[in-house]
Amino acid sequence: MTKESEYCIIDKVLAGEQAVYAELVNKYKSYAFTIAHKILQNRQEAEEAAQDAFIKAYHHLSGFNRDSKFSTWLYRIVFNTAITYKRKNKYQFDSIETTVIEYSQDTDGMLDRMDQKKYLNNALAKLNETDRTALTLFYLEEFSLEEIAGITGMRANTAKVRIHRARIRLADELKIILKQEALTL
Amino acid sequence: MEKIPQSLDDKILRYLDGELNTAEGLAFEEELNQNDSLKKRLDQLQDIHLTMRGKMIEHPSKNFTQAVMRKLDQYPVQARSFSIRNGILLLSGVLVAVGIASILVSAGVFDNLNTTIDLNQVELPKKYFERSLPSIPFSGKVIVNIIIILNLGLAWLVLDRAILKPLFQRRLQGDH
Repeated sequence: MTKESEYCIIDKVLAGEQAVYAELVNKYKSYAFTIAHKILQNRQEAEEAAQDAFIKAYHHLSGFNRDSKFSTWLYRIVFNTAITYKRKNKYQFDSIETTVIEYSQDTDGMLDRMDQKKYLNNALAKLNETDRTALTLFYLEEFSLEEIAGITGMRANTAKVRIHRARIRLADELKIILKQEALTL
Repeated sequence: MEKIPQSLDDKILRYLDGELNTAEGLAFEEELNQNDSLKKRLDQLQDIHLTMRGKMIEHPSKNFTQAVMRKLDQYPVQARSFSIRNGILLLSGVLVAVGIASILVSAGVFDNLNTTIDLNQVELPKKYFERSLPSIPFSGKVIVNIIIILNLGLAWLVLDRAILKPLFQRRLQGDH
């Protein structure tokens, strides 16, 4: 979908053709869900937050001034909505998804891909939500630093430094998790 | 494994991101051959790099779009922290408090509440204050008047945010 066709859809939605909005939802739902999931660490909540963000975006579509990309504007709403959900549920128990570390025999850089991803998710969960989101967006390789900064509400330079530090912190957290696993063997 | 200095961590990340020029890259690879700790750290960061890259995208449930389209007219999505009813109650409370305070002020209840606060009476170490400190006049009537003005401001804010704004939003949605 080109920028022009996207603007055409937006114009149609603004003119009252509500059904056309489904095209935008279909296009951006996976990234929106990924962002919400990285912040909330819970699929059900992430789905709700992402849906709410799309509804908010729909109702504020006239406020999208087309200076930035629609996706950046939308993901910023997703990010803020997910952060609001996170604050609302701050005192609830952590989901099982973030707390369970399963048994594995491999320990030092020799994990198979499935285990690696699982431990990596546990290490990611140790970072704060902004770093986690910035890091995810960085590795998705779809976003420039300016866009990541726009979505997470930081300056581009700050985003660069935070992503850099988060990558190192992630490696350190992963090392700690693997060490703990090795001790339980 | 010895601790890798942050400057080397930085260099590894720049190497992984392809930000080192040819000469820097070759020098770094040479360094890698001579330093086992550095090599291990590179492997760790590279593992993360490969696992994370391009594989982080997640997909919502199949009926995601339908759910959004079904709920498009339900706005605002988040429950307002303040319903219109609660807004009216708060506004009434603030106005009653302002009314009572105004009646008491006009009846002269606070007229006799005049005093001065003498800072010299406060026991402070003399070595810090060589000169005598000023006295501050305190008028109960002025303080209550300030409170009334602040309450009127609050009442205006409550009227705008908790009553008028949601009311107009609801009316707008009704028009759609």
